[in-house]
Amino acid sequence: MASKRNNGSGGTSHALMVKETISAYLFLLPFLIFFVGFVLIPMVMCLRTSFFDSTMGRADIFVGLQNYVTMWNDEIFRKALLNTVIIVVVAVPTVTAFSLWVASVIYQMGGRLRSFYRCIFYLPVVTGTVAVTVVWKWMFNYYYGLVNYLGKTVGAIENNVNWLGNEKTALWCIILILFTTSIGQPIVLYVSALGNVDPSLVEAAEVDGATNLQTFWRIKWPQVMPTTLYILVITTINSFQCFALIQLLTSGGPNHSTDTIMYYIYYKAFKLFEYGYGNAMGVFLAVVIALFSAVQFLVAGKNNE
Amino acid sequence: MKKFLAVFLVLAMALSLAACGGAGTSSSQPAGGSSSGGETTGSKTAITLWTYPIGNWQKAETVDQFIAAFNAEYPDIEVTVEYLDYTNGDDKVTTAIEANNTPDIIFEGPERLVSNWGAKGLMVDLADLWDEEALADISAVSEAVVNACKGSDGVYYEYPLCMTAHCMAINYELFEAAGALQYIDQDTRSWTTDNFVKALQALKDYGQGINTIVYCGGQGGDQGTRALVNNLCSGTYTNADHTAYTANSPENIEALQLLADLNSQGLVTFDPGIQASEELQLFANGTAAMTLAWNASNEASYAEQVSFTPYAMNFPSDDGVAELCGGIWGFGIFDNGDDARIQAAKTFIEFIADNAEQGPASVAATGFFPVRASFGNVYEGTEDADRMATFASFLPNMGDYYNVIGGWTQQRTNWWNMLQEIGNGADVTTAANAFVEASNAEIA
Repeated sequence: MASKRNNGSGGTSHALMVKETISAYLFLLPFLIFFVGFVLIPMVMCLRTSFFDSTMGRADIFVGLQNYVTMWNDEIFRKALLNTVIIVVVAVPTVTAFSLWVASVIYQMGGRLRSFYRCIFYLPVVTGTVAVTVVWKWMFNYYYGLVNYLGKTVGAIENNVNWLGNEKTALWCIILILFTTSIGQPIVLYVSALGNVDPSLVEAAEVDGATNLQTFWRIKWPQVMPTTLYILVITTINSFQCFALIQLLTSGGPNHSTDTIMYYIYYKAFKLFEYGYGNAMGVFLAVVIALFSAVQFLVAGKNNE
Repeated sequence: MKKFLAVFLVLAMALSLAACGGAGTSSSQPAGGSSSGGETTGSKTAITLWTYPIGNWQKAETVDQFIAAFNAEYPDIEVTVEYLDYTNGDDKVTTAIEANNTPDIIFEGPERLVSNWGAKGLMVDLADLWDEEALADISAVSEAVVNACKGSDGVYYEYPLCMTAHCMAINYELFEAAGALQYIDQDTRSWTTDNFVKALQALKDYGQGINTIVYCGGQGGDQGTRALVNNLCSGTYTNADHTAYTANSPENIEALQLLADLNSQGLVTFDPGIQASEELQLFANGTAAMTLAWNASNEASYAEQVSFTPYAMNFPSDDGVAELCGGIWGFGIFDNGDDARIQAAKTFIEFIADNAEQGPASVAATGFFPVRASFGNVYEGTEDADRMATFASFLPNMGDYYNVIGGWTQQRTNWWNMLQEIGNGADVTTAANAFVEASNAEIA
C-alpha cells in the first residue's frame, strides 16, 4: 500500500514537473523567438560576414581575416578607437561618481522634492536624442550660441569659440552632452538602492560613533555595490556605442577628432556599403565591450562578495 | 518529453525566423516579387514611389494632385508615395535594398540613380522611355543631361524631369552699404576672383564679421564649396572623361591656397562645424554676407525669412566666366522582377515627365527648370516668372556634370575632410594630393 502510494505520488510529481516545464517553456517561447531571431542569429551573421568582402549588388567573397587586418592598418579606425576609449574612460567614472553624489544628496529628501529632482535629472533621458542634440547644437553655435555668449559675458573667452568645429574641443563637447544624457538612469537607480539600505545598520554605526563618511563607505557603499556594478556596465556599453550624438553634431569631424567606432561602422556599412568591414569592426567592438564588462564584474564583483 | 519539447521549440523558432524572411547573405540582387508595398492583383497594379525632398515634391498635397491626375487616365494603377529626406533617405533606401524591399520608382539625381544603384545592377534599363523624340527634346536643352542619365555601360538608369544650375548669393543691401557692389557685374551677375577678394576686404573694412563660410561639417551642399574652389582659378573637379579626380591640379591648389590665405586674414571663414543648411540659415538671418548654396528652390524656401535682397550670383572666377555645378533630377525604377509593376512604373513616369499638360506642372513643382525644350518656360505668366528668369539665366553657365564619376559617395567625405584640414592650417598641396589619391582609389 505504501509502495502504491509512493508510486502514485511519484507519478503525480512527474506529471506536475512536466506540466510546469511545458508552462515554463511556453512562457519563455515568445522571448526566445525574438532573442534568437533578432539577437543571436544577427550576431552569428555579423561574425560570418566579417570574414567576407561583402557589399551591395554582388555575392560575398570569402577573405578570411583580411577585414581584421585592414582594420588594424586603418588610421581612421585607430583614431576612432582612441576617441571611443577616451569617451569611455572619461564618461563612465564621472557619470557613476556624479550620479552617486546626487543620489546620496536627494534620497533623504522629502517625497515631493526627491521626485522633483529625479524628474529633473531624468528629463534628458526621456527627451528624444534629436531634440536634446538640437538644443546643444544651438548652445554650442559658433556664431550666436549661448555658451559663447556666457563665456564672453563672464570674461572666460575673448572671441567666439567654434566648440564643435575645433579639434581640441569637439570631443569634450560630445562627452559633456553624453554625460548629461547618461546620468538620469543611474541617479534614479542609486536613489532607489540607497533607499533600500538597511536603516538599522546605519543607526548602529551612528550609535557606535561612525562619521557620515565612514557610514557611507562602510555601510551604504557595500550595499549599493550591485547597483554600482550594473551602472558601470550599462554606462560602459552606452559610452562604447556612442553614435547618435556624433551623427547629429559632427559627423565624426573635424579631422576625425570625434569619430567613434560605432559611427565609423555606420559610415562604412551604410554609406560605403562595406558590410564585411563594418561587421569586422562590430565584432571587435563587441569583444572589447565584453572584456570591459568582464573586468568590471571581476573587480566590482570581488568587492561585492 | 524533454526531447519532444526541444524539437518543438527548434521547429517553432525556425518557422518564426523563416517568416521573418532574413536572407543569409547580404547579396541583394533583385529577386522577383518582394518590394515595398507594390503588388499586382487582378487587373489592378499597385506601385510605390519614394521621393527625395525636391521642391514641392516633398509635399503630399502637391504629389497627391499629380497622382489624381494620373489615376484619371490610368485608374488601374495605384500609386503609393513615401517622402524621404536627405538626412536619412539614403539609409532608408540602403535598408530597403538589403531587405529586398525597394520601392518601384525613386525620384532623385544621377549620382544616386545612375552612379550608385544603377552601377550596382539594381535599376531597370529605361531605354524604351528614351525614344527618339525624348532624346532630341532633352538633347536640345543639354547634352550633359542625357549623358548624366546613362551609366558607364551606356544604359539609361534615369529619366530626367528637371535641372538647375547651383549658384551663390550675396546680401545686396550689405554689399551696397560696404561699397562692394562696384566689384560685381550686375548685368551678368558675375565677378572675377580679384574683385571677389576686393569685395571681401570692403565688407571687412565696413565691419562685417562673417563674409563667406567655407562650410565643411559634412557633405550637405558640398556643390557650393566645390564650385567655389574650381572657379577661383578655373580648375576642374575631374578629368573630361570622368575617370580621375583633379582637385590637386595647379589651378585647384592655387585656389585652395587663396582660400586658406583669406581664412587666415579673416576674410573667409572655414567652418568644420556646419553644413550648407546651417550656412543658408546664417545667410538668411543676416549673419553671413553671402551663401555658396543658392538656387531657385532655396530662394523660395527662405523668402519669408530674409529681410534683405538675396542677390543670386555666379561664382567668382579668374576670367569672370563661371562654370556652375548642375543639378539634375529624375526618375529611376528598381528592378523588382515584376514586369507588370515595371511597366506600370514606366507608365507613371511617362505621364509625369512627358505628358504635355502634366509635365510642365511636374517641373514647376520642383522649383527648377525643364529638361525638355518643348516645355518652354513653365513659369511664364506666374508670379514667379521674373524670379525664375533670373535663375534661368544661369543655366548656360552650367559646367560639366561630373557627379557620375566612380567613387562619388566616398569622395564627398574626402572632400569635406580635406577642407577641414586646410581650414585647420594643413599644407594645401599635401591635403589636395591626399584627397585625390584616396578618391581615385575608390573609382571602380
